[in-house]
Order: sequence, then structure tokens, then C-alpha cells
Amino acid sequence: MSNVIAQIEQQIAQLSSKATKKNTGVITAVADGVAKVEGLSDVMYNEMVSFPGGVIGIALNLGEDEVGCVVLGDVSGLKAGDEVATTGKLLSIPVGKAVLGRVVDALGRPVDGKGPIDAKESYPVERIAPGIIARKSVNQPLFTGIMAIDSMIPIGRGQRELIIGDRGTGKTTICIDTIINQARINKVGLASGDKNFRPVYSIYVACGQKQSNIVRTISALEAADALQYTIIVAAPAADNPANQYLAPFSGAALGEWFMENGMDALIVYDDLSKHAVAYRQISLILKRPSGREAYPGDVFYLHSRLLERAARLDGKGSLTALPVIETQAGDVSAYIPTNVISITDGQIFLETDLFNQGIRPAVSVGLSVSRVGSSAQIKVTKQVGGKLKGELAQFRELAAFAQFGSDLDAKTKATLDRGSRIVELFKQLQLNPIAIEVQASILWALQKNYFDSIEVKHIVAAANSLKDFLTTRKADLLTKIRTEAKLTDEIESGLKAAGDEWKNTFSAK
Amino acid sequence: MAADKQTKLLAKQLFKLSLVNGAVSPEQVTGVLGWVEKHSPRRALALLKVYQHLIATELAKSEARVEHAGPVTAATLEAIAAAMTRKYRRPVTTTARPNPALLAGLRIRVGSDVYESSVAGQLASLSV
Repeated sequence: MSNVIAQIEQQIAQLSSKATKKNTGVITAVADGVAKVEGLSDVMYNEMVSFPGGVIGIALNLGEDEVGCVVLGDVSGLKAGDEVATTGKLLSIPVGKAVLGRVVDALGRPVDGKGPIDAKESYPVERIAPGIIARKSVNQPLFTGIMAIDSMIPIGRGQRELIIGDRGTGKTTICIDTIINQARINKVGLASGDKNFRPVYSIYVACGQKQSNIVRTISALEAADALQYTIIVAAPAADNPANQYLAPFSGAALGEWFMENGMDALIVYDDLSKHAVAYRQISLILKRPSGREAYPGDVFYLHSRLLERAARLDGKGSLTALPVIETQAGDVSAYIPTNVISITDGQIFLETDLFNQGIRPAVSVGLSVSRVGSSAQIKVTKQVGGKLKGELAQFRELAAFAQFGSDLDAKTKATLDRGSRIVELFKQLQLNPIAIEVQASILWALQKNYFDSIEVKHIVAAANSLKDFLTTRKADLLTKIRTEAKLTDEIESGLKAAGDEWKNTFSAK
Repeated sequence: MAADKQTKLLAKQLFKLSLVNGAVSPEQVTGVLGWVEKHSPRRALALLKVYQHLIATELAKSEARVEHAGPVTAATLEAIAAAMTRKYRRPVTTTARPNPALLAGLRIRVGSDVYESSVAGQLASLSV
């Protein structure tokens, strides 16, 4: 008992002798989520400042006479004359595995009603990206589960691959499918007991999205049992622009924790167009000079410093980024799309026309590219899908010409037939990622002309039938493909036997 | 009436003229006020308000406003003035003002810096 008393006395003694210094200022104006503060002579750029009522803000504009602070909370309680104090801290958020399965806001506060987050560490929201010495080249695949992407536009761990397209073309769906696929791979890998297996944790940053869309995303992840490997950072459209501006950086901080601790993570920024709009709003209110499309001059730096934080580190983990950009009427040459295209290591371009034709995912093979290339593919995918992009390009070129004439030579007709079968084969239902071993098997079947005798309109059904056949009856073969990751004679003969067997059953229908 | 950019600039120039060796000189201030009266520049009221604000901010940097709960001796105030003069490398004077809301202890404000050693301050930090 005396120990307890002594402890309290010690605490009192510490408190009574402590003099704290803080730098203060006075609010001169509050408008549109931004407070102009006079004083704060010692404030640092990006430093957290505290307003009355526990509201916090960030000092973004350090002027000669006044400081412009964005308020991260309720501004209705603030008024001119209120005292503001520096905190000496940069904005940081709780990180770690404790945040997995949770929905947090831009400041890392839980918004899912599941109680407080028991995080042991916190990371600063703004951080300098790793330098070139610390990095390692991208050569490990990150499977999206989408056949068109994994076979032709492969994504590697640590890569930044932009997903770009008009509204309603399936950008978010690709991201959600990828997250679900990571969860599926994680479950299989962790259950296998393989010591070399590296799970991928996902972070989904919803920036400027509708609340209903965020709820739908959460429900989809929950339904697929993927939320346990995922963190959702929500800064919906109704949130103030400061939170929308910060959310992607908060997500990056969450991802960096996994990367720094030797794990792999995937981060989706959905979407950076709205992020740029939020930043433009803040910049205009702060009276920063505006440039093209009224965006501030540092909007390129805004996105480059964010996306440069995605990397594969030597001796540590990786952070893969999938930024999303929404175009207007397919215009990829607008300001923000061109900026982000130039920052990222490739883009997946989704076309409205393809989407409306029923080709979903509506990936435009001609405009999509992965600058990491086949170094992020496993050997089996290279073996079965190496020529697909070329074949599809030929098909597109010939299809345009074939519209003008009816007499086609046999070779052209064969190319067109094959192309239309590939297009059909790449059609995939949403929230239904396909395992890489199944993808390889289907592509092998295509390569070996198993689909040639099937009518084009039945290709999707045939591919689904083959997928079901392989997963239900040839699980051992699929496991072998997954573990060996290349086409050996044994696997090829197994695939041939399976293909023949399936062909008979499918034809019998 | 809000001061425009030119008025603020002129006020700053007048403020700079009011300093001698980095400190506000009463003679210079009198001179500046005389000049304003004589020439009555455009937006004189706004100009004088900005000028007054700049002078007040500068003077606050040389004044330690000591808020206290309970008695404070002259010796304590002198010690505070000496410590602040050393810290800021300029003559700092003290003015004392009782503030029972502090419960116990002191709060010293020099310019925009606040040094707090009061029970109210510690309770506030515990509540965060």
C-alpha cells in the first residue's frame, strides 16, 4: 500500500515541478475548414497545432504575418480570438497488425464501432520516400486474380500500377478483386505451412467516395472474408477536404509499417482525382497561386511524394500501390491523369466502349502497360501467356479492317477467330478472382486449341466449366502448378489428360 | 475597414522606422504619428490600426506578463525578468496579473511563447 502512495507522491512531485513551454497564436479568421492564425512564431511546416475543444489542425502555410492551418475536425466551435498552440509533433497515426480488419478515418481513429485500436506504434503521416540505395528491383509477382491483367499486364510487389478510366468502368472492382485475391492467397499460403510464404496485407483508401460505396466495399470484403487482411481508410465525400487530402498519406503510413517490418502490403488509392480536387480546394482557400485547371503548382509533387513511398526494400518488405484515376470522357491527356501516368510504373486503362460491349473487365490491352514487364511474372504464366498481347494486338488491327470486307483469307480468319476467343476468355465476373494456377491451366488449354471447336458465344461457359473441373477434380495438379510455378513435362501431361477429360464432359453437355 | 496590401506594406515600413537598435523608440513612434497626421495617407484609420498591432506585438516580446494564483513577491518577478532577459537576449520587463483560474502556480507569456507551471495547466494536459 505504501508503494502505491509513494508512486502517487512521485507523480505529484513530477507534475508540480514541471514547467511546459508552448508557442501560441490567436485565430484571426476561420473559413471553409481553414483557420488563419496570428502568432505561432515557432511553428514548423506540417506541425500539428491544437485548437480549443481538443480540435487539431496542421500548419500548412507559414506566412510572414500569419499561419494558415487546416482544421481536422469540427470548425463550428472555433472563433476569432481563440488561442492556438503548437504541439511540437508531426501528425502521426496508429499502425500495426492491430489495425487489420478495421475501418479508420484519416487520423487513424476507428469509425467502425468495433472499439478502440490497441496499436503499439504510430508512424508519421508524411514521410520521406526510401532512397535508391534502400530499394530492390521489382521481380516478385502480385497476382490480381484477373486473367487479363496477370497474363498481359503483370504487377510486381513494390510496383505502382495506375488504374485509369471513366466513371463506371470497373476501376474499384479491379482493386477489390485484387484485395480479395490477396486474402485468398494468404489463406492458402498460411494454411500450407510454407515458411517462405509472404502474405500480402491490403490497405484500401477511400478518398472522396460516397459513403454508400464505401459500405458496399466493406460488405464485399466481409462477404469474401478478406477484411481480416485489410485496413480501410475512409475519407468520404462528406468529410472535410483536409481529411480527404490526408487520407492517402495515412494509408501510406499504414503500408509502410508492413514494409519496414519485412512484410508485403498492397495499397489502393481510390481515387487520386478526388484527392487532387481536395488539395486544390485547400490550396485555393489558403490563397496559394493556382496554375493549370486551377490546381496549385505542387500538385505533381503531392502525388509523386505519395507514390514514391511504394517500394520494394532490400532486406525488408514491399509496398505495392494501385492508384486510381477517373478520367472525363476517356481523356487521358488531362492534367492529373498525365501527372500520375508519368509517376507510376504502368497503367491499366479501362474503356467505356469495351465495358458497354460486355467485355468486363474492360481492360484496353493496347493502352495498358506494365513497365516492370515479365520480370514480375512466374515462369508458367510466361510460358502459356507470352504471346497473348501480340495476338490480341493483331486481332484488334485486323478486326478494324475486317469490318470493310467480307472476303478474308484463311490466315486472317484464323487470327480473328483466335482473337475473339481470347477476348471471350478474359471476360470475368466481378468479385471472382481466379487463382494463378487455374489461369495458367485455362491459358494452356487456349494455347493447345482446346477452345477452337467451341463456338465463341460459349467460350465464357467453357472457361468456367474448365475452371470448375480443375478445382473440383484436379486439385493435386493445380497445387503442383502453384508450387513448381513452371510447365514441366509431368505437369503438361497432367494438363493434357485433364483437358481431354474435360473436353469430353463439356462436349457431352 | 480592412487594410489592403499597400496599406499593410506602408504600416510595415512605418513600423521599421519606429525601431532603434531593435527596440521600439517612443520618439520615433511620435514622429511616425506626426507624419500620418500631417500627410493623412489613404486609408489612414486602417493604416494606424495595422501599425498599432505591429507595435503592440513587438512590445509584447519585451514584456513578460505573469499570471499568478496566490501571492508573487517582487523578488520572484525580478528573477523572472532576469531569466527572460537572458533567454531572449533583450531587456524584458514583467507585469503581474492575478488569475485565480490557474488554481496554483504561474503562467508567463512573452510574445507568443507561454511558459506554464500551474495546476490548471497540468489538469488540462491530463485531460487530453
